[in-house]
Amino acid sequence: MNVTLAVKQYISKMIENSGPGMKVLLMDKETTSIVSVVYTQSEILQKEVYLFERIDSQSRDSMKHLKAICFLRPTKENVQHLIQELRRPKYSVYFIYFSNVISKSEIKALAEADEQEVVAEVQEFYGDFIAVNPHVFSLNLQGVSRGRTWEPSMLSRCTQGLTSVLLALKKCPMIRYQLSSDMAKRLAESVKQIITKEYELFDFRKTEVPPLLLILDRSDDAITPLLNQWTYQAMVHELLGLNNNRIDLSRVPGISKDLREVVLSAENDEFYANNLYMNFGEIGTNIKNLMEDFQKKKPKGQQKLESISDMKAFVDNYPQFKKMSGTVSKHVTVVGELSRLVSERQLMEVSEVEQELACQNDHSNAQQNVRRLLQNPRVSELDAVRLVMLYALRYERHSSSILPSLMEELSRKGVSERYRRMVQSVVEYGGKRIRGSDLITPTDAVAITKQFFKGLKGVENVYTQHQPLLHDTLDQLIKGRLKDSQFPYLGASSLRDRPQDIMVFLIGGATYEEALTVYNLNRNTPGVRIVLGGSAIHNTKSFLEEVMLATGHSGDRAQGSGRHSTRR
Amino acid sequence: MASSYAPPFEGTGEVKEGFLCPLCLKDLQSFYQLQGHYEEEHSGDDRHVRGQLKNLVQKAKKAKDKLLKRDGDDRPDTGSYESFYYGGVDPYMWEPQELGATRSHLDLFKKHRAARIDHYVIEVNKLIIRLEKLTAFDRANADAAKIRAIEKSVVSWVSDSDVPFCPDCGNKFNIRNRRHHCRLCGSIMCRRCMEFVPLPLAQKLINGTREALCVPGSPSQSQSPPAGGGGSGMGSRRGSITSLSSVASILEEKDDEKIRCCHHCMDTLLKRQQKLEEKDHVPDIVKLYERLRMCMEKVEEKAPEYIRMAESLNAGETTYNLDTAGGLRLEVQKYYELIDALSKKILTLGTKSEPQPHPKALQLQRMIRYTATLFVQEKLLGLMSLPTKDKYEELKEKRKQDQERRLQQERQAAQESLKRRQEYEKNRPPANGELPQASRATHMTKAGGWLPSADSAHARSELEDPLLQQIENIQSFLRQAREAQRTDEVAMLEENLRQLQDEYDQQQTSMAIALSQKLAQEESLQQGELQRLEEREREGREQWGSTFVSTQPSFTWEPSLDINPAGDHQVESGVETTAEIPTLKTEASPSAVRALSSLTPLEDSPPRLRSLGGHITPPSGEGQSSTSLNPFEEEDSTPIEEDPSNPFFEDIKKEVSNGKKEYNPFEEDTDREDQQAETTPSNPFGEDDADTGNPFMDASGNSPEASTNPFDGDVDDEALPDVDMIEEELLLQQIDNIRAYIFDAKLSGRLDEVELLSENLKELQHTLQEQKKKRH
Repeated sequence: MNVTLAVKQYISKMIENSGPGMKVLLMDKETTSIVSVVYTQSEILQKEVYLFERIDSQSRDSMKHLKAICFLRPTKENVQHLIQELRRPKYSVYFIYFSNVISKSEIKALAEADEQEVVAEVQEFYGDFIAVNPHVFSLNLQGVSRGRTWEPSMLSRCTQGLTSVLLALKKCPMIRYQLSSDMAKRLAESVKQIITKEYELFDFRKTEVPPLLLILDRSDDAITPLLNQWTYQAMVHELLGLNNNRIDLSRVPGISKDLREVVLSAENDEFYANNLYMNFGEIGTNIKNLMEDFQKKKPKGQQKLESISDMKAFVDNYPQFKKMSGTVSKHVTVVGELSRLVSERQLMEVSEVEQELACQNDHSNAQQNVRRLLQNPRVSELDAVRLVMLYALRYERHSSSILPSLMEELSRKGVSERYRRMVQSVVEYGGKRIRGSDLITPTDAVAITKQFFKGLKGVENVYTQHQPLLHDTLDQLIKGRLKDSQFPYLGASSLRDRPQDIMVFLIGGATYEEALTVYNLNRNTPGVRIVLGGSAIHNTKSFLEEVMLATGHSGDRAQGSGRHSTRR
Repeated sequence: MASSYAPPFEGTGEVKEGFLCPLCLKDLQSFYQLQGHYEEEHSGDDRHVRGQLKNLVQKAKKAKDKLLKRDGDDRPDTGSYESFYYGGVDPYMWEPQELGATRSHLDLFKKHRAARIDHYVIEVNKLIIRLEKLTAFDRANADAAKIRAIEKSVVSWVSDSDVPFCPDCGNKFNIRNRRHHCRLCGSIMCRRCMEFVPLPLAQKLINGTREALCVPGSPSQSQSPPAGGGGSGMGSRRGSITSLSSVASILEEKDDEKIRCCHHCMDTLLKRQQKLEEKDHVPDIVKLYERLRMCMEKVEEKAPEYIRMAESLNAGETTYNLDTAGGLRLEVQKYYELIDALSKKILTLGTKSEPQPHPKALQLQRMIRYTATLFVQEKLLGLMSLPTKDKYEELKEKRKQDQERRLQQERQAAQESLKRRQEYEKNRPPANGELPQASRATHMTKAGGWLPSADSAHARSELEDPLLQQIENIQSFLRQAREAQRTDEVAMLEENLRQLQDEYDQQQTSMAIALSQKLAQEESLQQGELQRLEEREREGREQWGSTFVSTQPSFTWEPSLDINPAGDHQVESGVETTAEIPTLKTEASPSAVRALSSLTPLEDSPPRLRSLGGHITPPSGEGQSSTSLNPFEEEDSTPIEEDPSNPFFEDIKKEVSNGKKEYNPFEEDTDREDQQAETTPSNPFGEDDADTGNPFMDASGNSPEASTNPFDGDVDDEALPDVDMIEEELLLQQIDNIRAYIFDAKLSGRLDEVELLSENLKELQHTLQEQKKKRH
């Protein structure tokens, strides 16, 4: 149940299969992301793969002394490119791997193009998803829905992604979906259809308790992606934007050239791995320790290296030290930038109010706080809007809602028309009318007492008191209490025992806060293993884009739709 | 070792196996579950559970090593355990995971391809056969009509009337745009779409195919029996055709040197040609690359072996020979150089040739070079150096002594327990002498008339080591005290004796290099031991009655003791004075004595230590000067050290600049960095570097020993004072180190440093030469 490892194993197997010698890796746009998230360049260089090429690149030269490993999605374009490639082979041997199921007719077309017999291998290796963390995968899809229905190309891509995860993990699951979402049902049916069609592929060794695939819809919890985050990974994504584990730091004032873009990968960066889920305060301490450690390891720069043994120690530590100095400067820069943004945008204050809006039920207090912050000139446009959005979602039907006056406040603050329209869109996307479960006011007795006790105990950390809805859903699922009426099984059979292996997929994108929740659930519930997936991993900005695309108000800024229209 | 963790076989009745929790003996299915269980259940009980587990793992490893007869190879296996936590991920996620599902389409692919390939191969072979027929006669001397007749006989030409338009470009044929036939397939095209096969190419294709036919199992030829048949039949026919004479024709342009063909046939032929060419042609890069890989493999193979040796040697073990290890080191280093050279060659391949290679080819070369440097960086810089010969001897001695001391301590412990038992019997149980502090107090009060005196009969002035003498003295006191039935004193003196002996052992270690001396001392130690035993035996018989004369000399040589364990000295001197004081002030009240005794060591020791600070004790001084205080080392390390430190300064500066921009939680760090940054420019090496360009010379100029150098005037020699002192190994090592730095500097493109370092390297090598010359 480790998606990162699954992809890594696929790739190392591909390379292994091709034997010794210089190699080139031929990929398409998406597989490039898939590979780059799990492997660093130096790691893959050690496996004698020296060049990374796009199959659609025109600038490739004939290099007959190279072996080509092709890792491609089985799209029509890719097959066409490959046919061209095989007609006039540029490399000596081709090892072809498709990331998903490919049709027999396409195999035939490829075979007929291979007149020079350069193809040595044709296989399907189901690494058709981006393994963000060992328990989190993404498909990097923006704008999966149009209104309340699937954008057709997206449905098939999600189905492919989801089935490839199942195949990579060797799971043939039972499927549950969120009844309130038609999209969830469609996707569940579509996945089931593939499982039935490719029953031979899904014929895995039966486990005692069958694995479970739970398909949910983002619109059920529009609050989580709107909150500011305080754990390292989530915070970096929220404030700087993580794209395939890379951060673009070029906008950071005074950034040095080699830190313009940095990679944060738990696979190769011990500090990051250990602090991924730590909150901001802890990271501050840890990075200080890291610095001290670094200074200790630094061979006392100013002192003489008096003896041979000093020299020896220095030489012995040198590579490690070099690596460490890279890590130190990277994290110091990132955390420094985070803290700069936190103070510049007064995120502490903003976040406190956000959390209060999300977790507490005190309308008069909330409205005062929101109003107060809207009047604060240092609160950024985005933060102001998200506060209003949270208010709108939270007190949508409140009798004395002050939303109209808040909207006025926004326009007085000079917030752009586009952002103001988003408030309406978010309510349209994730408002009460849409929601299937009780995101905000729990109705059953258990939940009410729970919240009551929570209120009594007080909260440990005001900035991290919010628990995403996903936590409750999964908690109930693990305890076997998730209601069939809300999350029905697809098909007649249902699970008797409590589930052990769970894959949960969020249509419309997951968040790193949810990744943290799943991580904690994995840790705290022995015997249960959960993998979280989403059509994307959102921060507030990308989530708002998604909302705008879904509600059809994308208007002028339709970044995502341009890409999709080519697909249609 | 691991067996101690195994559950007891007798008693429990049932034997548990598998992954048992060491704390609660719960059986868990797998290592991962055990780990998880540990974290779940016991993280509260013991904060070092992980450490314990780690120990367990390591112990198991050691046990395994032992079983495999790989003694002396117990270097800490760090990383093996951490790897389970690699990536900081939940251990539940890291169960062994098999490769995900796969599906191969190769069979289907091959089936379709085979059908296609048959077609293709037949086509190619058909073309080759026709080509051979067309070139088999003497074209230059045949007249056009004849050529045409032959050509027409090879393949039936499509009749002109069937083709009104050029099939390739679609132009209409007329008088101007005439039809041309492909000589290979008989099809028609226009002039513009026509191509020619030059005769040399044709010849090459034919020959290549024939050669390929001789090679069994060649892929494209294996399913082409028609080609084989045609090819072999050809030779016999050739003779008849070549005999034909020729007359020039004016109707058609004559194709002396080439054969007309259509572009489809040409295409097929060209592909064929390319394939033939590639078969024999191995590009330079491949040759170099193969050698590069070979070197890398060799390094992979040898480096661990070397590291094992070096570790063992550095620990002073005698499992391996220093020379073999040195040889291996040299070998590995040679491979590194080769890797460096080869990858550099690959990097520059073709860059000087006129049509620059394709950018992708250059990129490939760069990547190979990069990988090679990464490889070297990782392996070479992790390659530990060997101890020098002297150092090795020292290490060996140290280890030997460690072992001896351990042995001795055990022996001593045994003796002491024996002694104690004897005393116990002798002095009756109620004696309160076991606690030294209490005993001291009682001794003071009782001090009255008893005085130990140095056993003049046993005064061993011939012993060089003051410590030994001291031991001797104390032993005599001890004897006297025992005879006087002073149990308190006995206990105290025994304590002192033990401390002195420990001290002595320590000193011994530090004096390791003075071999001859050491041996004598060892002997004397043994003698002392024997003596002690003898003395104990004689205890009953001998009488005591000496005076307190010889404590005085014991005090005078005290300063020549080793400085290090000051604490011990204080105790010692305290003892002496306590022994002394009673004589001087026999009438003093007990409390005064006590005060004095506690004061004297404090007052006494500082001046003594101060006086000691000035000079080094002769025995240990020698050892030090020959090992770590070698002046050359200091001198030499100077230029080297500063170069690698440069990048860090840069780094730090960078960080400082970063740090300044972050004001939030890292003010402390920033401060510290600022301090560093301040000190950085004041770094003397940096200045040296800037001023002279060659700090090596500079450093030597400052050296006070430079003037004592017999080779005055010679700059190189001047730079290296006390050349005779420099061990060759040391030099070699130094050279190695410098090489590593040069390598690194080159990598990061700090060319000025490279220059500087290589200059240093040259100098060092020169010195080495010089020294060799001198020796011979």
